Amino acid sequence: MKRISIDPITRLEGHGKIDIFLDDQGDVANCYLQIPELRGFEKFCEGRQVEDLPNLTQRICGVCPEAHHMAGTKALDAVFRVDPPPAAKKLRELLYSVFCATDHTTHFYALGGPDFVVGPTAPKAERNILGVINKVGMEIAGKVLKMRRDGHAIIKMMGGRAIHPNWGVPGGVSRGINEEQRKEIEQLGRDAIEFAKFSLQLFADVVLKNTEYVELIKSDAYTHQVYNMGTVDANNHVNFYDGKIRVVGPDGKERFKYDAKDYRDYVAERVEPWSYLKFPYLKKVGWKGFVDGVESGVYRATPLSRLNAADGMATPLANAEYQRFYDTLGGKPVQPTLATHWARLIEILYATENWVRLATDPEVTSKDYRVLPTETPTEGVGCVEAPRGTLTHHYVTDERGIVKKVNLIVGTTNNNAPICMSVKKAAQGLIKKGKVTEGLLNMVEMAFRAYDPCFGCATHSLPGQMPLEVRLRDPQGNVLDRLTQYMG
Amino acid sequence: MPSKYPATGKTLIIGLGNPIVADDSVGLRVAAELRSLLTGRPDVDVTEDYWGGLRLMERMIGYDRAIVIDAIRTGAPPGTIHHLTTASVPTQKSASAHDVNLPTALAFGRRAGVHLPADEDVRLIGIEADDLINFSDECTPAVTAAIPHAVQEVLQQLDSMLEGQKP
Repeated sequence: MKRISIDPITRLEGHGKIDIFLDDQGDVANCYLQIPELRGFEKFCEGRQVEDLPNLTQRICGVCPEAHHMAGTKALDAVFRVDPPPAAKKLRELLYSVFCATDHTTHFYALGGPDFVVGPTAPKAERNILGVINKVGMEIAGKVLKMRRDGHAIIKMMGGRAIHPNWGVPGGVSRGINEEQRKEIEQLGRDAIEFAKFSLQLFADVVLKNTEYVELIKSDAYTHQVYNMGTVDANNHVNFYDGKIRVVGPDGKERFKYDAKDYRDYVAERVEPWSYLKFPYLKKVGWKGFVDGVESGVYRATPLSRLNAADGMATPLANAEYQRFYDTLGGKPVQPTLATHWARLIEILYATENWVRLATDPEVTSKDYRVLPTETPTEGVGCVEAPRGTLTHHYVTDERGIVKKVNLIVGTTNNNAPICMSVKKAAQGLIKKGKVTEGLLNMVEMAFRAYDPCFGCATHSLPGQMPLEVRLRDPQGNVLDRLTQYMG
Repeated sequence: MPSKYPATGKTLIIGLGNPIVADDSVGLRVAAELRSLLTGRPDVDVTEDYWGGLRLMERMIGYDRAIVIDAIRTGAPPGTIHHLTTASVPTQKSASAHDVNLPTALAFGRRAGVHLPADEDVRLIGIEADDLINFSDECTPAVTAAIPHAVQEVLQQLDSMLEGQKP
């Protein structure tokens, strides 16, 4: 393979742009995914009161504001060295469970699911949420809409605003819930469990009973031997809100388990000359490039990796599905990227069960939902499992609580390297000797859609579509071909 | 089956944007101006949100008409005001991989049985942006200067839409 010279021309901005470099034989040498990144957030935060950060950081991402709000709030607990009372922790986890269930629902029905429910080879125009309705039935539209609306209503009720909760404070939350609200949240949670069960049954009927689909999921073209990261509770069960971060190797064995505050001992961020994005990797394993294997520090932080990094789910129905997942896909760890869709549904079931568990806990209506911080602020790390992966907020302040430094590792960023690898692997099977097989875009799109990547944090402009552009380049970087497809 | 979300006969004016990303906030700023101008109008609600697609569709439930105000980038001079319909939304820097486009979202909502404005009763006012990538509390000068014009355009659009409803 010719050495690829990367010049500033290849350091391109854009959204969903994939550059595929071919070697002299016309086969795939490398793939680079370009994702836009908003600039200057750290500078924007410097000099502000640290208490503002959970409200500011949630605006950097239009998809998961609640995740940023929660990670930011936990970072404030650490900055002020204050431990919230049990009721506050339960309320936070309750809101967060509702958010995760709602967010995952959108991905499965609007984005990831259509590839399977409608079919990976179905015409593009049919592979969307309307195609799912056409295939499954009109009633699904009402169910999905109810799930989203119920989730948003609870977040508004608890968080105080329809958009961007104004709720998390160091040492707790700014308001609690009363018995009437608790009952409503519980009832909607019971509906949500039924919805999650329905969704898993749909997946079982449409995907798992179709041998072709199961083979596609398990196929080598969509499989990587990488490390898996996720947050676990004291029993090594998946937890979205709190716990230790656990990393298992490609063999499924635990390699690292640490507190979020120590993340810099375990995760390093690599800068590549062709991208503005950072590529996190496991520091103690080391960076060996965009490659699989036990020697490579590349890891995934996704719904799939969370299941792989845990020993089970904390709730009974989700745990039964967890066991079925591994029985069906051949034991741990499950590494095929497309299995992430199933993992995401299992997480919806877990989130809804956890929602009801917390909504029926007598302590959530307690008035003891905040302790006032008394310590001098210094530095703190807050971490949650965002729908797209482990989310880390790290703030440093002066003694007045004025922000001196901010570092964030957002969900999708964890997966930058494996997304590039997945795209490359999908492309390798479809480009031979310079010839592009029809369906390249679909297959490439499926490869990275499984990660539910969050492009263009917060910058959305007029509601339109997300274009995916694939450019084929020769070893010198000249563009040979350009393919565009609109997702959604 | 009667809809759980019946028609209100009202018009929704909604500004979209991110308040801390330079010109991306322009839709929110226009909506803020309109909120004070339209106070006391029982037939019009002015609100804001940060996201298109399904979320925007859900905000429109129950309304007969909607006017969406947002930043846009087409290559025109910054501050240029564009009038668009759901069918003419350009597919530029927009939404995300985590959502569907507005026409698809509206079609989905109708199949779910909720009342939504007809596609032709959804108007989009786009304000050409200059900076959509830097965090800032302010819009760029050309976009700031366009805010009062955009406010007037929305008011005219509102009048013309309501005019069309009269017998």
